[in-house]
Amino acid sequence: MSDSDRDSAGGPGDHALLEFEHVDKYFGDTHVLKDISLDVEDGEVCVVIGPSGSGKSTLLRCANRLEEIQNGEIRLDGRSISDPDADINRLRQRIGMVFQSFNLFPHKTAIENLTLAPRKVRGTGEAAARQRAEELLAEVGLSDQADSYPNQLSGGQQQRVAIARALAMDPRVMLFDEVTSALDPELVGEVLEVMRGLADEGMTMMVVTHEMGFAREVADRVVLMDEGRIVETGAPESFFENPETERGEQFLSKLL
Amino acid sequence: MADSYADASADANAVADGFFDDQTLKYLGVGLSSLFALGVGLLLLYILATQVDYGLIPTILPQFLRAYGLVLGIVVTGSVLSVSAGIFVGLARVSKTRITSGLAAIYVQFFRGTPLLFQIFVVYFGIPTLWPGTFPVQDWGIPTAIIALTLNHAAYVGEAVRGGIGAVHDGQMEAARSLGMGYVQAMREVVIPQAWRNALAAVGNDQIILVKDTSLLTVIAVPELIQQFRSVNSATFDPWTPLVLVAIAYLSITIPMGRLVEYLEERSDWGGESQ
Repeated sequence: MSDSDRDSAGGPGDHALLEFEHVDKYFGDTHVLKDISLDVEDGEVCVVIGPSGSGKSTLLRCANRLEEIQNGEIRLDGRSISDPDADINRLRQRIGMVFQSFNLFPHKTAIENLTLAPRKVRGTGEAAARQRAEELLAEVGLSDQADSYPNQLSGGQQQRVAIARALAMDPRVMLFDEVTSALDPELVGEVLEVMRGLADEGMTMMVVTHEMGFAREVADRVVLMDEGRIVETGAPESFFENPETERGEQFLSKLL
Repeated sequence: MADSYADASADANAVADGFFDDQTLKYLGVGLSSLFALGVGLLLLYILATQVDYGLIPTILPQFLRAYGLVLGIVVTGSVLSVSAGIFVGLARVSKTRITSGLAAIYVQFFRGTPLLFQIFVVYFGIPTLWPGTFPVQDWGIPTAIIALTLNHAAYVGEAVRGGIGAVHDGQMEAARSLGMGYVQAMREVVIPQAWRNALAAVGNDQIILVKDTSLLTVIAVPELIQQFRSVNSATFDPWTPLVLVAIAYLSITIPMGRLVEYLEERSDWGGESQ
């Protein structure tokens, strides 16, 4: 996106919705994120790809502070997430996260998974929370499974419930951490379809994935990471047809 | 498919150890357990037919009923207190604050590492002498029972709860936190309900042991069930009549407790096979 687009994106000031600024992250002595700077604009679908161990999942987890960073800053809508004094519980309500392993609450039915956080965190009334949850379950095509426990659902259904659960807090941005990697191949499509629908509605999304077809089709921008660095960013057409860097070319050649 | 697998494994066993095949083992199991049950059953029948003095029962029943009521009271109080305290011990054990988890570990080491009888003596004989002046509690036996049983079993419940929390997938806490819940809220709403299910069998087991541990209170003359056995036996030299009553009394508490645990486990089934 150009700078003029960024200005017209609105909101207070001229910042992007989700900003990473010179982020460094270490696990012990291992330097896993090296000086990462990245802006995700309002309404943008930013797909992060790269070989395993390149730091892409870690980057995503830093964005809602499931991991702490050692240098730099991460901001949502201009407010620091990485600041030790940040009201992280409040900020996390604005950041939906979907995990590779679903992480649905097994002791709650599908609809209770959706209503728990709105009720307990935001104090939404039972009836209002249920109504919103029913709408969201309908949106992910699972109205008939509202009273099922996660154990009774397929992997694809569980992941769709998990997406709806994150949406129930009305987040400003959604983070997807390899959400189809634990699924049987025939169940991947239904989850990607839900994500495609969200993108079409204009949801701001940061997606870590190995699904290159999805990246190509849905991404506004592709970010290639390798060894803790952002190697290349670009529009999907130009990146997949004509990568600018040698590393990008290498990565793509291994896929084909 | 399943049949051919079973056949294959049966053949493999027969060949592998050449001693028992699956069928022989099955018959051996049925035979031995039946033989054992028959032996015990006959012995029990013999005792009930020839050793129990049924005429004595109406005379000693009132004192047994009083003891039964007392044991029930101690068990209910001790259970409520030790499970409540145990949950906090378990939470303290998994605390990220070193001091808290360290103190909880020492607590568990001490109360799991010394005999309950010793702990009963510490409370019963030790505490009153520490009091400046005259110890104000006249009947210290029953308070001792509740204090010692609670402190002891809170350690075991705490370990069960710690294990239960440890078995909850890390992703559960992350998912709860990512929705904006605080640590305490996430523990209460998401982690602890699952940890409790994981810990239920171990906690139930411990609470059944707590029931039987009330028998130790005979050494500080709390009028519980074993105490009644001793008084009847020393007066009549009849062991079997009071022993049978003692057995019935304990089993009438412990068997329903086992059932209650099974019921609680079934109730938190959450739609089928465990995750």
